[in-house]
Amino acid sequence: MISTKKECVVMLLAGGQGSRLGALTTKIAKPSVPFGGKYRIIDFTLSNCVNSNLDTVGVLTQYQPLILNSYIGDGKPWDLDRLYGGINILPPYQRVGDSTWYSGTADAIYQNMDFIDQYDPEYVLILSGDHIYKMDYSLMINYHKEKRADCTISVIDVPYEEASRFGILSSDSEGRITEFEEKPKYPKSTNASMGIYVFNWSKLKKYLEIDSNDSSSIKDFGKNVIPCMLNAGEKMYSYEFKGYWKDVGTIDSLWQANMDLLGNNSFDLAGDWVIYSRHLEWPPHFIGPNSTVKNSIISEGAVILGKVENSVIFSGVKVAEGAVVKDSVVMADVEIEENAVINYSIIDELCVIGENKIVGCEKENSENITVIPRESKLI
Amino acid sequence: MSTLGIIFSDMQDWNLTELASHRSVAAIPFGGRYRLVDFTLSNMVNSDISKMCIVTKTNYRSLMEHVGSGKDWDMSRKKGGILIFPPYATEENNGLFKGRLDALKKVLGYILESKEKYVILSDCDMIYNINYKDVIKFHEESNAEITAVYTKTNITKYDSVHKILYKFDPDGRADDVLVYPVISGEKNVGLNTWVLNRDFLINLIYDAIARNLQDFSYDVLAKKVKNIRIYGYEYEGYYAHIDSLKSYYDHSMELLCKNKLNSIFYAKTGPIYTKIKDSAPTKYGENADVKSSLIASGCIIEGTVENSILFRGVKVGKGAVIKNSIIMQKTIIEDNARLESIVTDTYTHIKSERVLLGHKNCPFFIRKNSII
Repeated sequence: MISTKKECVVMLLAGGQGSRLGALTTKIAKPSVPFGGKYRIIDFTLSNCVNSNLDTVGVLTQYQPLILNSYIGDGKPWDLDRLYGGINILPPYQRVGDSTWYSGTADAIYQNMDFIDQYDPEYVLILSGDHIYKMDYSLMINYHKEKRADCTISVIDVPYEEASRFGILSSDSEGRITEFEEKPKYPKSTNASMGIYVFNWSKLKKYLEIDSNDSSSIKDFGKNVIPCMLNAGEKMYSYEFKGYWKDVGTIDSLWQANMDLLGNNSFDLAGDWVIYSRHLEWPPHFIGPNSTVKNSIISEGAVILGKVENSVIFSGVKVAEGAVVKDSVVMADVEIEENAVINYSIIDELCVIGENKIVGCEKENSENITVIPRESKLI
Repeated sequence: MSTLGIIFSDMQDWNLTELASHRSVAAIPFGGRYRLVDFTLSNMVNSDISKMCIVTKTNYRSLMEHVGSGKDWDMSRKKGGILIFPPYATEENNGLFKGRLDALKKVLGYILESKEKYVILSDCDMIYNINYKDVIKFHEESNAEITAVYTKTNITKYDSVHKILYKFDPDGRADDVLVYPVISGEKNVGLNTWVLNRDFLINLIYDAIARNLQDFSYDVLAKKVKNIRIYGYEYEGYYAHIDSLKSYYDHSMELLCKNKLNSIFYAKTGPIYTKIKDSAPTKYGENADVKSSLIASGCIIEGTVENSILFRGVKVGKGAVIKNSIIMQKTIIEDNARLESIVTDTYTHIKSERVLLGHKNCPFFIRKNSII
């Protein structure tokens, strides 16, 4: 038999609904929400994997997987169509005597232990498919090896006011974790868990078994498995990540992360750390004779005849003569007709905004971002 | 309706000395993100042709890199797919072919091993959208031995010297073929695309070997027009023949007219496919001022761009002004530089404050990797 052994297998949690994104996720899972002109959120983690030389990825899906499944396909756009390993979509499945949905993040991995065992890995890297960042996971795995850790958790420094939204870690001067609290009311530090874990596979297996037999557990990494390992005195280390990292779990943060791409941005899509995505064939975008485009990013196939300012315009968007788009995110294939005005909004894919329509209010006078759901026709 | 496609990468490369000095004609960048071969390849893919080869001559590295396994054209297949034929030397010949017939002799083995009923021969210097299925249907119905695709258009004697012209009798059969004549007026201009039955083509090649014929246009089309049933299929849409730097410039600029842009890129025959590069979307700065331009992805624009085409990954610095120009990929234009009617080849670097002026009637060309 040909050896299919891999040092590290990646398990990417992509089954969440992302209910705080409201209308944007009624038809699609959060990882497949469009982002940044031509990407979907999951492109960032998938590209990070390939760029970190990790070529065996299991994608755990559950909620509204159709668009995600066809988007990932055979993994070719991320160079993940491989002879051994590559990308594998892992939905819940039926077994003899038992079949359940994934009841939590830990359960999703527990139900796919056979998948991981095929590759007989030393390490398993657990990721979630809903963050925007560029990170070299191989550095974190090296750190994990150096520390001879059983588990390494990636952390980022967050403002104190926001800390109670995250899992908060305290560690000693060597980086060894001394305390872990999930969403604490009074955080003891500002080291937030990014939901990125490296485990020794043999150790993780042991704790997944324990967790699965614990009827009081809600089968969650942050709430059950990590605290359980810590209490048992396993060697757990925190790995500090410095760089741009954004959880795009809410409409506000999704809008803000898109805006972070503009100007002297905090996050740059270009550069050597390429973010890959599945492409449709579009010609270059066209800017008309009377258009103005300022402080924006514009993707292929867009036709801009009107005015665009401080906005992110996706592929195939049409902005007709006299139309104005300001402080907004306009997703693929949206048509904005003559003299329509879009302010401080997120327009989901395939919408039509008719002539003279006004969507949203000026950012200065508005508290909320207007969201127009997929395929709406405002005529 | 099984059809084999044979694409010639460099039939008239002597006309394009600047653009084709270090690449084959097929690999000349066009339209912001394409190379000329993409248009012919996409026509074939959109006409459900699933087996094709590209016959190259010299400088084919960039073409091979571009086409690769053919997967970006959905042509990486178990059955069929794309094959590139670089020139190769044997005991009998020294490798480089002398004309289209000579080139076909070199791929005779491939043609013999194929099973397709029809063969399409096409060059890469013509840009137009056509569904070859219609041409083959016409070829069958007219019982032709060779069907030439042509378009009716007014030409000057300066254009005509790079074109093949057909005259047809009332039944539509060609009774005269002029190759590279000096002539003007409304003519039937060939689009360098022909359909033949594979068996007929094989016999033509055998005959060419026996008589040492090299050139398809002179030796077959022009000389045998009375003996071979040559019919013309009229194409009526937009076409562009890239046969000089001037025509390259003019046809590129035509893309800035929305109708012509639509007729090429949004045609009902299907999309134009090209190699995927994964560049980020283009970023416009606070002071960007862009009008009437076609801009590919991966650019960073902080200056003024008017009536121009920017390829992938071009950087335009603050205060830089670009007018009526074609800026190929990865060109860097620093702050306050000024370019008018310029064609920059790939990877050129225009330093700050430089002023480069060509004229619309005579665009100025800057070679690949130049630093100015």
